[in-house]
Amino acid sequence: MNLRRLTFRSFLVVLPLAAGTLLVAQAPRGLDPAMMLKPPADMWPTYHGDYTGQRHSRLAQITPDNVHQLTVAWTFQSGSAAGIKATPILVDGVMYVTMPDNIWAIDARNGRQLWKYTYPTPQGFHIGHRGAAVYKDTVYLTTPDTHLIALDIRDGKVKWDVPFADWRKGFWSTNAPLLIKNHLIVGMSGDFDNLPGTLKSVDPETGKLQWVFYSTPPPGTPDSISGGATGGQMWNTGTYDPELNLLYVGTGNPTPVLNGPARPGDNKWVCSILAIDPDTGKLAWGFQASPHDTHDWDASEVPVLVDAPFNGAPRKMLMQASRNGYFFVLDRTNGKNLLTKPFAAANWTKGISENGSPIPDPAQEPARDGRLVAPDEGGGTNYRSPSFDRRTGLFIVSARDSWGIWFFKPEHGAYGWAGADYGVYGKGLLRAIDYQTGKIKWEHDLMGGGGGAGVLTTDTGITFSGDAANSVFALRTSDGATLWHASIGNVGNGPITYELDGKQYMVVAGGGVLYAWTLPERLVTAPPR
Amino acid sequence: MRLSLSIAFLLLTSAIVLPYAQQPPAQQQPPPAQQPAPTPPAGRGRATQGNPTAAQKPPATVTPQAYPPELVQQGQVLFASFCGFCHGRDTMGGETGPDLTRSLLVAEDVRGDKIIPLVHAGRVDKGMPPQNIPDPDLAAIVAFIHDSKTKADSLEGNRRTVDPSDLATGNAQAGQQFFNGAGGCAKCHSPTGDLAGIASRYQGLQLLQRMLMPGGRGRGGVAPRPATATIKLPSGQTVTGRVTYRDEFTISVADSDGYTRSYSARGATITVDNPIEGHAALLPKYTNDDMHNVLAYLQTLK
Repeated sequence: MNLRRLTFRSFLVVLPLAAGTLLVAQAPRGLDPAMMLKPPADMWPTYHGDYTGQRHSRLAQITPDNVHQLTVAWTFQSGSAAGIKATPILVDGVMYVTMPDNIWAIDARNGRQLWKYTYPTPQGFHIGHRGAAVYKDTVYLTTPDTHLIALDIRDGKVKWDVPFADWRKGFWSTNAPLLIKNHLIVGMSGDFDNLPGTLKSVDPETGKLQWVFYSTPPPGTPDSISGGATGGQMWNTGTYDPELNLLYVGTGNPTPVLNGPARPGDNKWVCSILAIDPDTGKLAWGFQASPHDTHDWDASEVPVLVDAPFNGAPRKMLMQASRNGYFFVLDRTNGKNLLTKPFAAANWTKGISENGSPIPDPAQEPARDGRLVAPDEGGGTNYRSPSFDRRTGLFIVSARDSWGIWFFKPEHGAYGWAGADYGVYGKGLLRAIDYQTGKIKWEHDLMGGGGGAGVLTTDTGITFSGDAANSVFALRTSDGATLWHASIGNVGNGPITYELDGKQYMVVAGGGVLYAWTLPERLVTAPPR
Repeated sequence: MRLSLSIAFLLLTSAIVLPYAQQPPAQQQPPPAQQPAPTPPAGRGRATQGNPTAAQKPPATVTPQAYPPELVQQGQVLFASFCGFCHGRDTMGGETGPDLTRSLLVAEDVRGDKIIPLVHAGRVDKGMPPQNIPDPDLAAIVAFIHDSKTKADSLEGNRRTVDPSDLATGNAQAGQQFFNGAGGCAKCHSPTGDLAGIASRYQGLQLLQRMLMPGGRGRGGVAPRPATATIKLPSGQTVTGRVTYRDEFTISVADSDGYTRSYSARGATITVDNPIEGHAALLPKYTNDDMHNVLAYLQTLK
């Protein structure tokens, strides 16, 4: 046999195979952290879609003129009785959506399940889950019992499983981790127990701890400045400025929650917006949204990053609609306050201090005979992600005007809740805030005590969200006029948008089902001649 | 200013308020009828609702039941995971879920015959989702609830409570003035009419809650007068009825025989008379003193 000929023949056979293999190998696989700096149109690679937290898309196929023609492209049935609260993540045409102890990988073109992973030991509070994170070929899931599970992106097989807190002490997690370079930032909850506010960074390759940041360093440690307060958990997903290399995160309420006398002073850094170096976990600056909070009003809401003019000068800003009913604009290079205005009913302050923090009125602290205070415990807003529309300069948030009655007496003690409070009444309204004045430009009735949906805006001037009466809707961003709606069950998450095969999708949860909407085929592709 | 504008907006739109949907219902069930206003937020405080108020003795267990400690222990873990956020890890209540040790249903339950169907079905109208918990796990949860009730019944003092005496800081005379004057309560209510004997029916926190928002947290007893709507349809026809549902796009009303029909809100002129709106409009006006004074006045109406 002629060896040369054989080799040549083999080469002929092998060549196309090799070329084919090469093509597949060159197709994108997993998530390159560098891509996170400017996600392409076919990705929604992190909880907020990108590092800014704006939840604003430049996709322009769906417009105010054609949005009423949206049609269901596919649905995904989780089969779960509880609703989906997570924002889905989209990487390489695959969507990852979570519920407590569960994660699904779904084909983003047709809603087909590719794999599902269920954590085998349900422990800790099961109240909801915000979402997953992806790094290279790994998908991450936090569990109610504060484990971080690393899963193979191909099949959902467990790569490793590390605990990041002790759920037996009262921690739990609903957190969608935030990937920054080679750091996976993992948050947790826990305000039924007097626990230090804890944020962790772990190595996404190994799960090894990189740093711990305490918003309330454990009493007795040198950094402890909280005046005896514990708490200040960073349970929501933060944002990141790559130029300044700063991670921004909101901190939760103090514990004991309603017992203010047990923890005199401002209780730093609870109910605060913090800037943290993601490489070291060191605090760069802090701004307190609610000094000496006694009403469970965490400042864990999304710190939205915006580069735009403020009073005529270009600024790197951070905006937050906080649970205490106030809208804040900060200079995110140094934490200096630019604007503080109420965006929801609030009757708990004596004014605004020089540094921009509201000054709490001691007469509105929980008391033995009760205090009627706005907002109630659920707050002027909450976990529901807002959106910043760069075209109109409107910050759009699912708000509530609400009142509660608040009680505390020494017999309630100084552990955990340490008091009692009762919601009286609340009304949900989607509000569009002018970021330079804090004025409400328009509001949209959410038809109930409050919605569960986040907000998405697009460059064509559409605001997508959901109300408390099972409708997903599209409003005209400039004036809030209703353009489209569909009744799909409780809209409990933040809508996302992406483009695949030249088609713009909008995906949102109704109950335990994901709905993907597109324009009808004939509008997307030119009709055949 | 902006606040009063919001309230004006509320009154203009005449929207009735549907139960807060923070705990999402599992299926697309219609919102409950005749449930205006109450707003359980994403809360975690301590509360007692819809059952004997905290100052009252909890209802006694009708059929005493004993459970093995291992089962109770197992149930404690499961309860914390699936029920604890709303009902408290100790079953003694949270903002969104009542204190189960004071629940009439738990008192009357025998080994889960009432609790288990409730967990399966949920109470969607009150924000409790249906839960697919396997039967053996549910049996353990039931054991833990009953064990907790037995323990709670033996507790004295130190409970997270609001006692009627805590609330007795108001001035009844000033309350009467507010009732007849600035508060405008007398426009709809009368101490010798609908409110006669109110203080005999409700005390303490429950009375305060009903005063601030009837049909809200202080449940039990007579429901407030339902909202009624007059709908002028594009055809020119006019329909009236009790509002059973309202959203931005549709309104449903029931006639006097209980038949419900829905109408598109498009092109229709809808006027809703909802008595709770007066209570909502008062919330930004009350001072804490006003609130305690009116309560003191109501407490004289025995």
